Amino acid sequence: MKKLNILLSTSAISLLLLSGCATKVQLIDPNHDTGEQVMSLDYRDFNKAASTAVQSMLKSPALDKKDGKRFVLVISNVENDTMQHIDTDQLIKRIRIELLNSGKVFVTTAVGSKGNVDEMNDETRELVNNKNFKQSSIAKQGTLIAPDMSLSGKILQKNIGMSDDKQQVEYYFMLTLTDIKTGFAVWEGETFIGKRGSAKSVAW
Amino acid sequence: MKKISLIIIASTLVLLSACASKSYVKFVDNSIKNKIEIKDVKKRVLENGFTQIQVDGINKTDKYTLFKYRVVWEDKDGFEVKSISSKWSDSSAYKNANFRINVISPSKQAVNYQLYINKD
Repeated sequence: MKKLNILLSTSAISLLLLSGCATKVQLIDPNHDTGEQVMSLDYRDFNKAASTAVQSMLKSPALDKKDGKRFVLVISNVENDTMQHIDTDQLIKRIRIELLNSGKVFVTTAVGSKGNVDEMNDETRELVNNKNFKQSSIAKQGTLIAPDMSLSGKILQKNIGMSDDKQQVEYYFMLTLTDIKTGFAVWEGETFIGKRGSAKSVAW
Repeated sequence: MKKISLIIIASTLVLLSACASKSYVKFVDNSIKNKIEIKDVKKRVLENGFTQIQVDGINKTDKYTLFKYRVVWEDKDGFEVKSISSKWSDSSAYKNANFRINVISPSKQAVNYQLYINKD
């Protein structure tokens, strides 16, 4: 009995000590994030790349339509050429939101790269002759608007080994806006983000 | 007596109109205020209706200086126009050299700005 009591006491003390050592979970305040930088890409890097791209696009006349109306923009392929499992939407979504809110473009979800297409554009049109639906409420054929502009790009990572167990990781956010009618690249942007740190830090 | 009252009223009106200015540049930390100085702020409306601002400053120190800035945009009625530029952006100035911040509004509706400068 005495042994059991000692065992229980030891376990309780150990649990208390362990809970005391556990790192507390903190919420990130994205408006005032003083957290240390990491070698891999985090939301701050995507914010920076998106902000730089949007500012550059808004300053460029490429998105100024002559009649003052909006261009129709399609999101094409944005390649992830890094060692990290990132969804390129982390970058593109921010750009899409800003461009849409700017009043310069409409973003189509009728066509585009995987993940940027809303299948309902097609599926709802297949409801023709389905008696459960009021036929006049179904979107008709020939109403979708084809895009004028396409946004494509690549996120590139380059790791460079340095002396003293250090490494340099370079990230390049490269984006291109293409006039679909002519095939000309009417705007191009590149944002560089470089990080140096321990070679032990994982950048993938 | 009447003259003094008129002067006081006129002065008050001038002060009030100055306070009503909706666009400004502000340092949020005194430590950076001692390092960099704002020399000029230009604002213009582009042909496409977007507002552009350009802030000219100088790094008064003998050190390469990093700082942050963010711009909060408002429409004509004083309502905030959300944009990615309201997040802190990194900037820098070479020692004893001029620097420039150039920002474009997120939409035609964003006409007033508050540009905040903070230490890195």
